[in-house]
Amino acid sequence: MTADRAPAVFCTIVPPHVLDKMSGSADAGVSGAARRTLEQDALQRTRRRLTTVIGATGVTGAAASDRPVRTIHDAKHQDALPGRKVRGEGDKAAEDASVNRAYDALGATFETYLKAYARHSIDDAGLPLVASVHYLQDYNNAFWNGQQMVFGDGDGRIFLDFTLPLDVIGHELTHGVTQYSANLDYFGQSGALNESVSDVFGSLIKQFTLGQSAEQADWLIGAGLLAPGVNGHALRSMKAPGTAYDDPDLGTDPQPGTMAGYVSTSRDNGGVHINSGIPNHAFYLLAAELGGNAWEQAGQIWYDTLTGGSLSPHAQFADFAAATAAAAKARYGEGDQYRAVLASWSQVGVTPAVPSPDSAGLPRQQPGQPQEA
Amino acid sequence: MRIEVARSGGFAAIERHAALDTAGRPDADRLVALAEAALTAGPARGPVVPDGFTYEITADGRTARCADPHLTAEQRELIRTVLGEGA
Repeated sequence: MTADRAPAVFCTIVPPHVLDKMSGSADAGVSGAARRTLEQDALQRTRRRLTTVIGATGVTGAAASDRPVRTIHDAKHQDALPGRKVRGEGDKAAEDASVNRAYDALGATFETYLKAYARHSIDDAGLPLVASVHYLQDYNNAFWNGQQMVFGDGDGRIFLDFTLPLDVIGHELTHGVTQYSANLDYFGQSGALNESVSDVFGSLIKQFTLGQSAEQADWLIGAGLLAPGVNGHALRSMKAPGTAYDDPDLGTDPQPGTMAGYVSTSRDNGGVHINSGIPNHAFYLLAAELGGNAWEQAGQIWYDTLTGGSLSPHAQFADFAAATAAAAKARYGEGDQYRAVLASWSQVGVTPAVPSPDSAGLPRQQPGQPQEA
Repeated sequence: MRIEVARSGGFAAIERHAALDTAGRPDADRLVALAEAALTAGPARGPVVPDGFTYEITADGRTARCADPHLTAEQRELIRTVLGEGA
């Protein structure tokens, strides 16, 4: 750590609790920079919350369109976003396959949210969908920057183009849906839930588009993304976490499927892409138990949980489990669905939290307020 | 100067770690300048980005943390050079 040294660079990736400690440092250089970062962070969070509030208000206003509004940009291997606009809504196909894949996948994602959950785009108020392709050189990643999706080409050696798998694009867009709903904090267990929700709906978007039942689906995230020669079939497996790849260069898929394998780490925002295997597997078990199309009952329960307003941004696995049980009961009663939800969490070693009387059914934090440290 | 870069996070969450020593390299001056700039850059502007890469740059006993897409040009060039991977 650099808390006793100056000057140092502070980026918002440093966990807030570390910044808290730094902002109290006797060293003016350290404390000043940490305080500014905290202030900037709080500003950004407030802004995101405000966006959420504004988005929610939009729902009650004019009815949002049943048509997406897509724009695809070409970053031309630079880091300035969004880059040059290359295809707008309704434009004919471009010559660039990455552009067309992104355009089509945004459409498939919009369609799934609309038809399966009656959701109008990321914010449920018709937010335009923006994506940039060809971000940087040989870039092995894709992300959601708070406003748009960003896709790298991959280096061709380990990863191919990140626009190839539909579930990757659905995953990124779902980060936007989460931002406009439960807004789960991207750190630790709430961050792993944020990641898991993106995997769940990323997979459901692929299943809905292909018309696959829970039994027919591969339950893989990133199938088709690994370059030829890499020993693996995807990046994550919801059906069998920890089995997606085992390669000399990539290492072994580190995901646990149950709490017995929970990984405590400060990297990756507290292992958000590792421990997401646990709620991912709980969802798979539920979908497999209920059978049929996973986006219908299992997906509906998860969607109700994400958007129902009872989930805290700091929700832990036990809180999320309790919220899914409550959502199942609210929509389907105390029947098979409710019992299957409880059984799936039990199988991954998560015991649903017992809500305290004063928090039952109420958000623990009002949107628009900065988060506690 | 020994320069280390560790990367974590990202959609695939594949960790990368690499180091180089500038001694004897033709681009040593450039790398030292990049490292100085990378280590003393101001605070990043922007929130944590879901699936964004996070980086630790270490040189001369100092460590800087930064994250996509809020990198300075010097940080990005240094990371690309040390990791030998697209950034």
